[in-house]
Amino acid sequence: MAAMKVRLPMIRRMLGWLSWFAALAGLLALFFQYRHRAAILPPHLSVALGNLPYYAFCSFYRMLVAYVFSLLFAIAYGLNAAASPRRERFLIPAIDIAQSVPVVGFFPAAIYFFVALFNGSRLGVEMAAIFLIFTSQAWNMALGVYEAVKTIPADSLEALDAFGVKGWLRLKRLYLPAAVPKLVYNSILSWVAGWYFLIACEIIAVGPAHYRLPGLGSFLMEAADKGRSGELVAGLAMLLAIILVMDVFVWQPLSQWAAKFRYEFAASQESGAVGIFTVLEDWGINFRHLFRALFRPLIGLLGRLPRKPAYPRWHLEKPLRLLKWAALALGLGLLGYILIDGMVVLIRTLARPWPSEARLIPLAALASLARLLLAYLISLAWTLPCALLAADSPRFSRIVAPLAEIAGSMPATALFPVLVLFVIRLTGNMNLAAVLLILTGMQWYLLFNLLAGVRQVPTDLLEAGRSFGLSRLGTWRKVVIPALMPSLITGSITAWGGGWNALILSEYFIYHGRHYQVLGLGALLDRATYESGNGTLILLSLLSMVLIVMALNRLFWRPLYQFCTERFRVDY
Amino acid sequence: MALLELKAVSKQFSRGRGRLLVLDSISTTIEQGQFIAMVGPSGCGKSTLLRIMNGLIPPSAGQVLYQGRQIDGINPECALVFQSFALLPWLSVKANVEMGLEARGVPLVERERRASIYIDKVGLDGFEEAYPRELSGGMKQRVGFARALAVEPKVLLMDEPFSALDALTAISLRGELLDMWQLPDMPVHTMVMVTHIIEEAVELADRIIVMAASPGRIVADLQIELPRPRDKRTEAFNSLTDRIFSLIEERA
Repeated sequence: MAAMKVRLPMIRRMLGWLSWFAALAGLLALFFQYRHRAAILPPHLSVALGNLPYYAFCSFYRMLVAYVFSLLFAIAYGLNAAASPRRERFLIPAIDIAQSVPVVGFFPAAIYFFVALFNGSRLGVEMAAIFLIFTSQAWNMALGVYEAVKTIPADSLEALDAFGVKGWLRLKRLYLPAAVPKLVYNSILSWVAGWYFLIACEIIAVGPAHYRLPGLGSFLMEAADKGRSGELVAGLAMLLAIILVMDVFVWQPLSQWAAKFRYEFAASQESGAVGIFTVLEDWGINFRHLFRALFRPLIGLLGRLPRKPAYPRWHLEKPLRLLKWAALALGLGLLGYILIDGMVVLIRTLARPWPSEARLIPLAALASLARLLLAYLISLAWTLPCALLAADSPRFSRIVAPLAEIAGSMPATALFPVLVLFVIRLTGNMNLAAVLLILTGMQWYLLFNLLAGVRQVPTDLLEAGRSFGLSRLGTWRKVVIPALMPSLITGSITAWGGGWNALILSEYFIYHGRHYQVLGLGALLDRATYESGNGTLILLSLLSMVLIVMALNRLFWRPLYQFCTERFRVDY
Repeated sequence: MALLELKAVSKQFSRGRGRLLVLDSISTTIEQGQFIAMVGPSGCGKSTLLRIMNGLIPPSAGQVLYQGRQIDGINPECALVFQSFALLPWLSVKANVEMGLEARGVPLVERERRASIYIDKVGLDGFEEAYPRELSGGMKQRVGFARALAVEPKVLLMDEPFSALDALTAISLRGELLDMWQLPDMPVHTMVMVTHIIEEAVELADRIIVMAASPGRIVADLQIELPRPRDKRTEAFNSLTDRIFSLIEERA
């Protein structure tokens, strides 16, 4: 006797279908309408309010494309790194390096590469911008996938091995679902990072060449530069509106859905978080059933394909092993060629006489590190208590998470000029202003990772603690903080990565024709990029930054993370 | 011909600087239709031995023969039931049970049919769309059994299947397991169960392999002739339990 299935009345199902199609059609219509406006690159951006929807659409479109690439990359990369300890040893440090190269550092490369590739057309610049947004999104998502897959309980892996589940099926049933909670949260994070760098990406200036892309970022920057506060507010309001709409219709339902993928060890009641899709479900429009009904015939068809179960074999068959070796050799050969080629270019650039400013690098590095440390400690000081409070009260977390997301997505870069002038007028200290700006690039990563970690603290551990009479402080000390450790470390790593990126934007900028800067690596890099276009100095500052980050990662963060996952992993 | 045969199977793990010998030259055979229990203290390698039988772990030395042929990897005719249930929390009961079938490429309609049958057999009819977090421990283990039975194995391997359950649930599940095993239309008639509860072994098994630890080895292989259902309060039952207990004690 099968379980009773509730059949939705016909009319309501039709309504569900219609709403799906309407949304899709609307998006496409918008796309085609704006496609016609694609024109030659304007040297100066019009700050007319009428253009604002168009600019908003351009920015959103870039974010979406970059996000899809980031998602695919994150899944492929994170899975590979988590699945094999050998690959992990170079894939993870590689991401650390990538995370530490600041977005602006990619500018010269991106511009020259893509524009040359597309023969100077607008598409080349668009690709460069999308690539830059991608670099601000992909790494933390890949790390999230990596962490999620590494913490899959051992018995799930054994069960899947024992039943012969491998390949695409394993991906679909184990790795992807396990990665969903982290992916969703990191996607929210990535969009936050993306919006932040949108402004940086949309005004790409290298030496004398200016390539301005129509978009919200360039609109805001232009309005700020020209002192048009009305337009600035309108632009920010538009950005806020987009973020809010995405939050209600995309992120909140996704977060709810992602809760289903948590490893839970006690039978618990599902907390009824109310989001727009639960409301719609109450009215009878159930998207999940629609989706399944739509794809069932397809699944049935695919199921007819003969599939051999793939059991893990102790000894690989000979031809398969040869193929594996051949592929590996080819891959290594290609990689080797690229590396050697890159090395040659590197050495040639460094062989040129070093500019005198290079002497400042060690001191500048120390100054930047000091600022980063201060910003990190301040971030930790407020995000950790926030997360602990969220652990105690789900209501608090439900209020805080969307607020934090909105506050964090507002690109502080648009408000930088105002912020800096404000701080300088108050204290006359540009260093303080720089720390404040770096803070904006660090704290949200930390907060989001901590909040995600808090959500994943198994409730049965909390229940056990409470039942043994642990005080609030005791629960925090003994249960929540240890369970949070992996997220804290991941969050810190990403925060520092974000901090290095923010360094570029915080230590130097021009407002109303005046230069504001401090002694630091970021300032050196910016001066070299924006003022002199001196390739050697750019390379040297970038290299020093990368080396410092690598050293920090190898000697500090990585061992700490190993320790934490071994000691604090929840594995029954 | 024996269904499963182990010939001088040894297993070493390299831990840190040394090597740990977990199993030392284990040789035994398992015939069709037997219910075998492996008892021993913790650390005697019985769970490792079970996984070697299944093909999940390769032995460091020795051979594992199934129907006369040496196995090289997972044996598809064995199915494993886990102590910690090992269900995927994001799949419904139905999807969890179908997992092994899905891996074998069984088409959708046939999968659903078979899954329904076995979900029914373990007494979870009506719970197909439930998720593991909504189930009690006993129900979760039933799902574990249904999943293993759905692939219609020849040998059912169980790794302390009732250890994670409360005593009452364990008692009822043990009874149900025996009932199921004795039904003619069950696909599997050979069972190997690892347990540390001696009474459980005496209640259920035809044959008890007693193991000792450090290194893991077989110290005794007893045939249990008592008729089923077995009563814990009889003289015969208790003397068997005592005998096994002392066998384990003296080797400790």
